[in-house]
Amino acid sequence: MTAGGSGEIGGHSVGRVDALAKVTGRAGYAVDHRLPGCLHARVVRSQRAHARLTGISRDAALAVPGCVAVITAEDLLAAAAGRRGTGPLFLRFGHVVPDHWILAHDKVRYYGEPVAVVVAETPYAAYDAAELVDIDYQDLPPLMTPADALAADAPALHPDRYSGESIMPGTASGEEKGTWQPNVAYQADLAWGDAEAALASAPVVVETSGHFPMLFAYPMEPYNAVASFRDGILEVTSSAQHPFQVERDLARVFGLPLSQVRVQVPYIGGGYGAKSYTKIEPLTALAAWYTRRPVKLVLDVEESIYTTRADSADVTVRSGFERDGTLIARQIDVVLDTGAYLDNSAQVLEKSVNRCFGPYRIPHLQVTARAVYTSTSPASSYRGFGAAHCSFASETNMDLAAGQLGIDPIELRRRNLVARGQQLLPGRRAMDTDLADDLAVLREAITGYRPSGGRVLRATGVSCTVADAGALPSSTAQVRILSDGSVVLHTGATEMGQGSHTVLSQIVAEELGVPLAAVRVAPQDTLTSPFERTTGASRTTTVVGSAVQRACRDALEKISRMAAEIDGPGPRDGRPAAAPDIRGRADFAKVIRAWFGPGGGEVAGVGVVRRAGNFAQLPPFWEVGMVGVQVAIDPDTGQLDVEHLVTIGDVGKALNPAGVEGQDLGAATQGLGGALWEELIYDGQQIANANIIEYRVPRISDMPGRIDTILIERGDGPGPYGSKGVGEGARGPMGGAVASAVAAATGVWPDRLPLTPERIWRLCQAGKATTATGEPGDGERPRGVAEEAGK
Amino acid sequence: MAESLVLRTTVNGTAVARAVAARTLLADFLRDDLGLTGTKVSCDAQVCGACTVLVDGLPVSACSILAADADGRGVTTIEGLADDDELSPVQRAFTECSAMQCGYCTPGFILATEALLADVPDPADAEIRHALDGNLCRCTGYRPIMEAVRLAARLRQEARQAEAPGDATPPGQRPEHNEVTR
Amino acid sequence: MAWYPPMIPAFDLRRPQTMAEALRLVADGATPYCGGTELIPAMKIGIMRPDVLVDLKVLPGLRGITVRDGRVRIGGCTTHREVSGSPVITRHARALASATSQLGNLRVRATGSLGGNLCFAEPRSDVAAALATLGASVELTSAGGQREEAIEDFLAGPFTTTCGDDEVLTAVLLPAAAGRSHYVRFQPAEYPTATVGVLPGPPARVAVGAVGGQAQVFRFGRLADVSPGDIAGQVEVLPDRQGGEDYKRHLVMVLTERALEAAREDGDG
Repeated sequence: MTAGGSGEIGGHSVGRVDALAKVTGRAGYAVDHRLPGCLHARVVRSQRAHARLTGISRDAALAVPGCVAVITAEDLLAAAAGRRGTGPLFLRFGHVVPDHWILAHDKVRYYGEPVAVVVAETPYAAYDAAELVDIDYQDLPPLMTPADALAADAPALHPDRYSGESIMPGTASGEEKGTWQPNVAYQADLAWGDAEAALASAPVVVETSGHFPMLFAYPMEPYNAVASFRDGILEVTSSAQHPFQVERDLARVFGLPLSQVRVQVPYIGGGYGAKSYTKIEPLTALAAWYTRRPVKLVLDVEESIYTTRADSADVTVRSGFERDGTLIARQIDVVLDTGAYLDNSAQVLEKSVNRCFGPYRIPHLQVTARAVYTSTSPASSYRGFGAAHCSFASETNMDLAAGQLGIDPIELRRRNLVARGQQLLPGRRAMDTDLADDLAVLREAITGYRPSGGRVLRATGVSCTVADAGALPSSTAQVRILSDGSVVLHTGATEMGQGSHTVLSQIVAEELGVPLAAVRVAPQDTLTSPFERTTGASRTTTVVGSAVQRACRDALEKISRMAAEIDGPGPRDGRPAAAPDIRGRADFAKVIRAWFGPGGGEVAGVGVVRRAGNFAQLPPFWEVGMVGVQVAIDPDTGQLDVEHLVTIGDVGKALNPAGVEGQDLGAATQGLGGALWEELIYDGQQIANANIIEYRVPRISDMPGRIDTILIERGDGPGPYGSKGVGEGARGPMGGAVASAVAAATGVWPDRLPLTPERIWRLCQAGKATTATGEPGDGERPRGVAEEAGK
Repeated sequence: MAESLVLRTTVNGTAVARAVAARTLLADFLRDDLGLTGTKVSCDAQVCGACTVLVDGLPVSACSILAADADGRGVTTIEGLADDDELSPVQRAFTECSAMQCGYCTPGFILATEALLADVPDPADAEIRHALDGNLCRCTGYRPIMEAVRLAARLRQEARQAEAPGDATPPGQRPEHNEVTR
Repeated sequence: MAWYPPMIPAFDLRRPQTMAEALRLVADGATPYCGGTELIPAMKIGIMRPDVLVDLKVLPGLRGITVRDGRVRIGGCTTHREVSGSPVITRHARALASATSQLGNLRVRATGSLGGNLCFAEPRSDVAAALATLGASVELTSAGGQREEAIEDFLAGPFTTTCGDDEVLTAVLLPAAAGRSHYVRFQPAEYPTATVGVLPGPPARVAVGAVGGQAQVFRFGRLADVSPGDIAGQVEVLPDRQGGEDYKRHLVMVLTERALEAAREDGDG
């Protein structure tokens, strides 16, 4: 039996299998889902950043016609005590540290934290009633920044360490290491050699620091869930990227076996990591449990902002170089502001440690990193985390060094890049790609387009990251060949726009030799889909795709054996005929019909990927992030236009090139948003711009003048047909690339993002001041390609 | 008239008469009362365009207009564009260009494009960007959407010529006031 | 304070058939509206909580653009889209055509009305700034009669107008031969950060919008007398997250220079 297909996959782009549903409005999202007789919920939120809860007035709310209940954590605990057949409720979630209160209990830790949930017959009644609920507070000192939280006299936001309750083994809390500090939610570090000594003796030492702001991923579908709880079975529909993670948290809340919990996820209206792990599913489920009726909860965008933001980061980088540009040592410190609850920021921190020093050979390294609790909204994953947080500081550090050393910035990087087969991180998979070649392609592309004219400052910036991507290689897929030879694919990988349904269908079509139109992806449903740990970390094509491939081959093997059985023993020697090559709908249908007889039947194949074989080493693959921007700055207004954007997609094999380019451009666009406009701003205890008017995301008029999303295919990925994962790489390096271009244009190094027009104008002013006096301004005058054209 | 009224409107060509609370926003009327969930709600502040529908052919933010304001008028939602499963040229163009990823912004973009092309059948790129500047997409980076709009203009032109060969394209109403500094 | 929730508080909706009926309702405390593009968001945020809304859209005479006795009359319920697409406006009030074709977005332009925009008195209003440039006035109608007020007097401060509790803005009036006006704006965010409109005249008028509590008018004999530096120094500037005072003053100077440049290219002085 020949494995693989006709070799048609990749090279050309097939249309998305969900396009028709999405252009007709028929595509269903969780927010469109409802159940008959369901109640509607609205959350009552804390008006304080840090306070004891001393009382709640709910009479006025309950008097609103249609209001059914106003539920607090205390109500839930009391109800559980009084309800037969219910064990104690576990009112927190969190897959690394279960610190996240579903409803605030005893105290609130951030402005906007859910304190009560109102449930009513209509959304209007729920809204009106929620407006009438009054909470009494006893103020505690708010810790609005990591500095506040790390101060010697700062109160502990979480007195309880929860470490005994973590359900994720091997987590590195300070308690295990004996270095725990109050308000340090998580810490991680990495070291080899002796960075301190190496820096002391290095010929050239360059230091940068950078502030990466709080961001909001802004998936356009807000967080929402529908929950029903009946006869001991909990069913939830939500927009969760990881339904099985949510299932586990829900099971824990109610003490249910996993088999009694069901999480269904239809199309997700944007994820980007912001919908990874548990959000408001437990809250909705508890409301359903309490009222004994189905409940639907839809957050508005302000509430979504308060539910999950991206960690902000303060990063300092000290690098030591030889005079020829060889990196000797890097010493990096990272502080993440993870808000009131840790959520996935433990992972964000771990990846920050791994991704902060760049794709370079570094003989001596020291990275210290802490995620700090503050009285702000909870922070968690956002596309390409770690690389995004840290490369702003670490990559501008390379450009700064290039200026001091008198070496071209791209050349400086090239000299230090880890080569294929070399170790970037000890004990991990060696570098699995040709970074120097990727960089050469980037160099050629970004210098190939030179618009001119206009009274602008023009400059170019590039930035490089590499990320240990793919998360954990654990995936199961099931393929069912139906009696007419059409196919259903069961996978726990969710479709949030990244194209998982399409690519996985393509693999099935390729492996089984059936038309794409004959492949259907079953909806993601923990009751019927095989276990998938997560959908994220750019892992689906590679890891899930491999499971799908194995499932197809398993099905083919089975059907071939069936065919051999039908044919019976061979004509001469009595042995069974050689297993024939059965592929394609017609062949499948024939064999199934013959083998099962008139009753009919189907053939199921299962594929499993785990940490073995070509996935034995972590990470499953390295995800390259290399981007270049050419910018034009109007020095009179600070307006920055991106004239040219180049992204490098080192993809191994592009199973759907248009899909890959779309993911790269989408990631780059979010990166540009964070580099130029986006920032959640705290004003006192609350977020001043928690709406899409004032939190400005990229628009169609912001499109770069010229866009080159370049794909590099060397067939060197561990995924199907030599593929690797994509989707996050282009976001990480964008801040550094833009900052470098701005520095080259203005003469001043920025130390924070976003680079709004006002900030750029101020850099221009400061740069002029530098020129006028001849004395150094804010950092070294950058080497670069700044030209004031057409003045 | 008080806190509720009887709303008489035409939605996707079908006459509809319902009692609604005055406070009902058009988006909620379409989604909850009529079950037309193709219109999406996202920012609630009329800046993202996910809720774009056409009222008497004009693009409106359904999240920020009273259902009552559709009284006596005709509403077109995404569900009303395909004719017996035959997609409109704009829908076909978005499909062919795969001009979506998560798809949440897609109905809004398609209706905004329908409105644009009804006004300006052959828009230049700058006109497309100006018209669609109020529709946000968080997934695609907009490039395939631009391609889809250009293709849609061509497909509509082809359809027009197929219906009435030899007719000149009617002149569009071009915006003349582009003193945009930024 | 909450930003935009998905619903608004309950209210009573009235649809009077005559202006007299509408004025009676307004005098009784009802809030008039046309497109709702300012009203509905304000109700969502909670800065407006009307008990009664009066829909002006069905009333005759509030929509449309006419020229009579040397003046352009724009009905208060005329939409931004209708204004920007009007040949009359393009000819006599180019700054207004420019402003209404760029403000907000496609949907706001198609739905929002001139009158609604002016009555809401958002400090960053493009319409207010363009009309201030053109020396427009507003017609205010009450049961007691009608009065006219210059736009720069009507706009009294942020979200504040001189519109009486019993009055409705029924029209905007501006001189028909307003000359070739220019309107430039800098809008990196959702609202403009600074706008400048120039009417060459003579007499020349420069209106600065978005940086202060309301549009501000500066008068000069001729275009050549206009000093961008003086304007930038004198204009009221409210710093906010879009810019500090020095930056906004600088933008005013730059935009004034650019508007003057555009006027010179047009041969206007």
